[in-house]
Amino acid sequence: MSDAADVQRVLSGDVDAFGRLVDRYYERCARFAVRMLGSRDDAEDALQATFLRAYRSLGKYQERDKFSAWLYRILVNQCRSIAARRNQRERVFVREEAVLLNAPDRTPNWTGEESELVQRVLAELDPLLREAFLLKYIEEMSYEEMSTLTGVGVSALKMRVKRACDRLRARWEYIKDE
Amino acid sequence: MSDELNSIDESVRLIVMEARRPVAIDPEARRRLAEALRAEPAPTRSSRVLSWFVEPRPFALPPFTTAALAAGLVGIGVLTGIALNRDGRAPTEQPRAVAASSQLPDSVAPRAIKFVLVAPQAARVSVVGDFNGWDSAATPAKREADGTWTTYVPLRPGRHIYSFVVDGTHFVSDPSAPIAPDDGYGQKNSVVVVAGASS
Repeated sequence: MSDAADVQRVLSGDVDAFGRLVDRYYERCARFAVRMLGSRDDAEDALQATFLRAYRSLGKYQERDKFSAWLYRILVNQCRSIAARRNQRERVFVREEAVLLNAPDRTPNWTGEESELVQRVLAELDPLLREAFLLKYIEEMSYEEMSTLTGVGVSALKMRVKRACDRLRARWEYIKDE
Repeated sequence: MSDELNSIDESVRLIVMEARRPVAIDPEARRRLAEALRAEPAPTRSSRVLSWFVEPRPFALPPFTTAALAAGLVGIGVLTGIALNRDGRAPTEQPRAVAASSQLPDSVAPRAIKFVLVAPQAARVSVVGDFNGWDSAATPAKREADGTWTTYVPLRPGRHIYSFVVDGTHFVSDPSAPIAPDDGYGQKNSVVVVAGASS
């Protein structure tokens, strides 16, 4: 069943249909929130707020928009809001925390070291650059989709993604050489 | 692997592949979400918040100073450093922002917070904050004849972070309101504290 059909069912009183939308998008949204906020607790708060807000606002959802884009817009804004609220608290990335952010990996010889480094270099990135980078390469959105979602122009988003890549590459190579 | 990934540096590609891995979220968080959703009223086409906006309500606006002291609301201020003129010149009249509140009968109901921005040169003004998901299209202000822009937002008691958005791009904080901690986006936001019915 399509997203639009599920939305219609919810608005017609079949509230359980919203569970299907949650099932469909929860893991993707979780991944974005964790990579964006660098904290599982904050990510869980963002997810809770996002799906609750989507549910409450479903009556205002316009079918001409893709549900996923509408949901992501809420998610991105919730992540921004949580980032604003967390009072610049210092994020201390210890290896255990970064490893725990990922789902268990059964790949032989996987130590979690790469996960730790990736979370670390992402955390060091300016939030606007990190947001653009994640939307582009992790969520695999087009620049046009990103522009609709963030309200930022395509050229500015391209610049942010390029800067993010440049800084990630520089940091990665520096850390690997440490 | 997508063409776009092929076009980026190997080390960045490695970061991308690693960051695309699924993350672990506590199953309890998912359960809590399901519970919270069950506690919500079923959504309908005409949402409660929307109808609240369109229903005319009398607003008893107390003297600003009283409201500000009682509810910790934002004050009247002159915004500086915001170039609203389209020709790039400094505006001759600086915008200023005020907010006031009125108490709704239900003690647990949101309180009506009035946001006013004086910005005669602006073509569009809206209010964004944690209460509307920072959506600049969600709470547009209405222009009055004297160049002020007004909108009401129902806010529950508590602390809310907000900003004005002028012409869709300029985020304008309220200089007379407390400034929220840096949001990490290089943007200064304002804080409004809505007092509960008993305070």
